[in-house]
Amino acid sequence: MSESSRIKDLIQWLLKTKKLIRMYPENNPMYIKALDDMYSRFEEAFSISGDITLQIRQYEILYHDEQVYHNPEKTDNLALFLFKDGIRELRFLKGLDKEELKDFLKIISLDEKELVDDDIVTLLWERDFQHIKYVVDESVLTEDEEYEFKATESLMENPTSTDELLRAYRDAMDSKGVEAVEVAPVSEEDLKALMKELEKDSEPKLPKLIYILSEILRTVTSPLATVTSPLATVTSPLATVTSPPTVTSPLGQESDKKDFEEFTSLVKSLLLYSVETGDFESAVRIIKLIKELMNSDMSGDSKTQLKKIIEYAGSQTVIKAMGEVIDRIDIEEDPVKEYIQNLDRNAIEPLIDLLGELKNMTARKLIIDGLASLGRRDMQSLLKGLTDERWYVVRNIVYILRLIGDKRAVEYLLKTIRHPDMRVRREVIKTLGEIKALQAVPILKDYLHDPEPQIRITTVRALGSLHTEGARRLLIQHINTKEFLMRGIEEKKEYFEVLSSWKDQETIELLIKILKRNTLFHRAKNYENRACAAYALGIVGSTLTSLSGEILKLLKKYADSKNPLLREYVKNAIIRIEASYGRN
Amino acid sequence: MEETKKSIEIINNLSIMLRTSQVHDINNTAVLNLVEKVTGLINDLLREERILQIDLVGEFFYANDTRLKYSIEHLLNFDYLSRELKKRNVGTIIFKERIEPDEMKRFVKAFVAAGFARDPLQYMLNSLKDLRTISVDKLKRVKEGEALDMRKVVKKTYFNAVSFSKGLMNKIKSKEAVNIKKAKRIVESMVDLILEEEQLFLGMTAIKDYDEYTYHHSVNVSVLSIALGQRLGLSKKALNELGLAALFHDIGKVGVPLEILNKPSPFTEEEWLIMKKHPQWGVKALLMLKRPDPLLIRSAIVAFEHHLHYNYSGYPRVTNKAEQDLYSRIVTIADQYDAMTSSRVYARVPLPSDKALSILIERSGTQVDPLLLKFFINMVGVYPIGSLVLLNTNELGIVYQSNPLFPDRPRVRIIMDETGKRTDFTVDLAEKDSEGRFLRTITKTLDYTKYRINLAEYLM
Repeated sequence: MSESSRIKDLIQWLLKTKKLIRMYPENNPMYIKALDDMYSRFEEAFSISGDITLQIRQYEILYHDEQVYHNPEKTDNLALFLFKDGIRELRFLKGLDKEELKDFLKIISLDEKELVDDDIVTLLWERDFQHIKYVVDESVLTEDEEYEFKATESLMENPTSTDELLRAYRDAMDSKGVEAVEVAPVSEEDLKALMKELEKDSEPKLPKLIYILSEILRTVTSPLATVTSPLATVTSPLATVTSPPTVTSPLGQESDKKDFEEFTSLVKSLLLYSVETGDFESAVRIIKLIKELMNSDMSGDSKTQLKKIIEYAGSQTVIKAMGEVIDRIDIEEDPVKEYIQNLDRNAIEPLIDLLGELKNMTARKLIIDGLASLGRRDMQSLLKGLTDERWYVVRNIVYILRLIGDKRAVEYLLKTIRHPDMRVRREVIKTLGEIKALQAVPILKDYLHDPEPQIRITTVRALGSLHTEGARRLLIQHINTKEFLMRGIEEKKEYFEVLSSWKDQETIELLIKILKRNTLFHRAKNYENRACAAYALGIVGSTLTSLSGEILKLLKKYADSKNPLLREYVKNAIIRIEASYGRN
Repeated sequence: MEETKKSIEIINNLSIMLRTSQVHDINNTAVLNLVEKVTGLINDLLREERILQIDLVGEFFYANDTRLKYSIEHLLNFDYLSRELKKRNVGTIIFKERIEPDEMKRFVKAFVAAGFARDPLQYMLNSLKDLRTISVDKLKRVKEGEALDMRKVVKKTYFNAVSFSKGLMNKIKSKEAVNIKKAKRIVESMVDLILEEEQLFLGMTAIKDYDEYTYHHSVNVSVLSIALGQRLGLSKKALNELGLAALFHDIGKVGVPLEILNKPSPFTEEEWLIMKKHPQWGVKALLMLKRPDPLLIRSAIVAFEHHLHYNYSGYPRVTNKAEQDLYSRIVTIADQYDAMTSSRVYARVPLPSDKALSILIERSGTQVDPLLLKFFINMVGVYPIGSLVLLNTNELGIVYQSNPLFPDRPRVRIIMDETGKRTDFTVDLAEKDSEGRFLRTITKTLDYTKYRINLAEYLM
C-alpha cells in the first residue's frame, strides 16, 4: 500500500469515527471502540510516515501534493469545513494522545448550528493541542486592506528631524534627566496573594453583572426619577451615595426613558440566559432585585417597565426554556422551586402548558409544586387548566387543587367529575373527599355504582374522608344491596374499613349483624361480607378500648369457623385487638 | 501529557537543586538529597523517552520540543533557572541514557563554577566534555531576519485589530451586526504573538502619534492587558477573554456625541455627565451585540468597572461595593497607563512613560490595585519601550525592547552616537566585554515628549 493510500484510508476512518462519536455518548462501548480503533490507526500511520501534514483546499485534502480526500459537496465536507474558517494546513505530530484525538474529533464533529459563537480555528486554538498543529490564512481577519498602509504612511509623515535630535542630545548632555521608576521585584507573598486572586476569579460572573444592571436601573432615570450626578460626589466628598443629588438629565428625559427601556430589555435577555443555562439562582436573584427596585422610590412608569420583567420571567418563552432545561438534565430542585414561587400570576398558563410537555417525573413534580404555590394566589387561572385537552394535565391540575385545598374549587371539580377519562374522574373524587367538599356527597352516590372498581373504591374512600352522616348512610345502604354482595373481596374490605372509621353504636351493631348473618343463597359471597365485618370489628376493637372486650368475645366465637376465609379474618382481627391491648 | 508534567517537575527541581548548590557545598546533605531526587526524576523520564532535551528559547522552556506551560507556583523557580542559564549563555541541557548521581554532581559543580568563569559556556563545555550522559549547548538567539519578519506580522496583526476596532464602533453606531467570531480570532492572534513576541507588540503600543486615538487606545489597552495577564499566569483561553474585554472596554463611547468626544478644551459639567455614562452604555452596547454568553458577560462587567477605581472613588457610583472583577482591575491599569502616555484630543502632549508609571504608583491602593500594579511595573520595566535614554558612552538611544530578567538593561536603538551624530543601530545593554563588564549602561532618561521624535520610525 502506498503512503498516500494509507493516509487516504486514515482520513476515511476519521470520517467514519466522526460519525460514530456523534451518534453515541462517551461511555458507550461503540464510542470507546471507535476512538480506540482510530487511535491505533494513527499510531500505525505515525510509525510508517512520521508526522502527518495535510494541505487543506476548498474541496480536497492533499498529502505530499497527492489528493487523499475529495468532496465537491457543500455539506458534510471535511475539507470545506476546515477551509472556510481559514485552515490551510493540518499537522498531526507523533505523540498524539487519545485525549487529544477525542477532542479533535469532537471539534470536527460539530455542525454549523453548534458553531454560532466560535469558529473551528477558535476551538482548536482554545484546546491548544500539543500534537495537532495548523496553519491559518489570517487574511480573513483584515477588515480594511488599506488601513495598515494608510496608518503607517500617516505616522511617517513627520520624520524626526536631525535638529530635534541634536536638541535632545544637547539637553541630555546638559540636563539632569528624569529619575527612573524603581521596580520592586515580585515576592513570594505577592505570588501567594495572586494565587488567591486567581482562585477567586473562577467564580461565576453572571451574579456580578446582575448587580451591575440593577445599579444601572437604579440610576438610569425614567421621566420622574432622579439621576445621580457623578460630578456632584466628586465636588462634594460629603455627599452620600444613598441620597444622590437630583440634577437634570444631560441628554434629556426622552433619552433616559429610552435608556431605561433598553436596560430593562437587557435584564430580560439575561434572565432568559440564566434560565437557558440552568442557572436558576441567578434568575431568582434578578427577580428579587427587580422587586426590590419596584419597592424603591421610583416613578409609576418605571415600575411598570420593571413589572414587565417579572411578567417576562413567567412568559411562554422563558417557561418553555425552563422546561427544556429541567426536562433534560438533573438539576438542583430548590432554586427552580424558588424561581417559580417568585413568578407572577401570568406564569400559571405557560406552566400548565409546560406540564403537558414534560417527560421527566422530577421536572413535572417541580412544576406541580410551583403551580400549587402560584395557584393559591390566582385560583381562576389555575382552574382554566381543568379544560385542557390533555387528560393528564387535567389530572395534575385536580391534584394541585387538592394540594391547595381551597373549597372554591369544588364547583369546578364537580363539573370535571364527568371527565371522559377514568383517571381524571378518580382524581376528582379523591380530591373532593380530601378537601371536604360536603356538597359532593349526593353526587358521589352515583360513583358507588360506577362500572370501574377503582372509581368505586376511590368514592368509598372519599366518602370516608368526608365523614358526614350522609356519607355513612350512603355506605350502609349500599352494603345491604345485592349489588354489593356480588363485589370482590378487596372492594368489600375497603367499604368495611371506611365504615369502621365511624365507630358509632349503629355502625357497630350493623357490623355485628353482618358477622352473624347466615344465608342460604350466595353463601360464599356472604362469608366474604362476614369476613369483612370481622375485619372492620377488629379495627374498631383495637381503637375503641371500651368495646374491645365485648368485640373480642364475639369474634372468638367465630375463630373456629369452618369457613377458612372467615376463620382467617376473625383470627387476624383478634390478633389486632390483642396487640392493641399490649400497646395500651 | 504525563511527560509534560514530569518535565515541569524536573525543571522545577533542577532549579531548586542549582539554587541550593549556589549556597551550600556539593556534599551538603540538602544538595545531595536534591541531586538524588533530580537524578531519579530524570531517569524515570528517560526510561520512556531515552533523551531529555531542555531548551530555553526566549522566555520559554521546551522539553523535547514541547513548550512547557507552567503554573504560577513554579514561576519563581522557572525564572531563576532561566536567569542563571542566560547568565552562562547556556540554552540547552541534554540528558540521555541513564544518569548516575555522581554525573549529576559533576554537572552541578560545573554549573556553579561557570558562574564565576570569564566564559561560562566554554567552562561548562570543557567540564562536561567527557561526560556521555549530560551535555549543554549555547543559548539560541532569534535571528535578525526572523525578528524582522515577526515585526511585520506583529504590525499587521496590530493594525488588523485597530481596523476591526474602528469597524466595530461604526457598526454599533449604525446598528449593524458585529462579527464576534472575527473579534475572537483577532485577539487569538494577538495573544499568540504576545506570548512569543511580547516586546515587539509592546513596541507598537508605545507609538503614540496615531491618528485615531480611540481605536488605537482600545487595541493598546488590550495588548497591555494581555501582556499583564500573561505575567499573572492566565491560561491562553483566559488571555483571549481578557484581551476581548479590554478591546471592548470603551465601546460605550459610541453613545457619546462626537463633539464631546473630540472636544479639545475641558468638558463642562454637563459634558462630563455624558462622558461618564459611557461605562453603562458599554454594558448596553455589549449585551445588545448578541445573545449573552460568558465572554460578553465578562466584557460588560469590565466596561462598567474600568473607571470605578480600586476604592470606588471613580464612576459610575455604585451602592453595592462588590469586589471589582480581576479583569476590570487589569484593564484599569492598562487604560490609565495608555491614556496618560498617549496624545489625546484634550491632552495633546502625552506624559513620558516613567512619569505615567510614577503617577500610577501614587494611585496604588486608591485608584489601582497595588498587587497588579507591581506586576505591571515589572512588565514594562524601569525603562519602558520608547524611553529616551543617554548611555554612559554618551550615546543617545530609544529603548527598543525591555529585558524581563534585567529590567535596567533593555535593548536600545542608538539614534545619536557619542559625537552627537545621527546614527541607527541596536545594542543590548546586557552585553559584556571580555572582562565581564557591561558595555553600556543607562545614565539618564529624558522626557521625549519635549522633542518631536517620531517613535514609529524606530519601533515599527
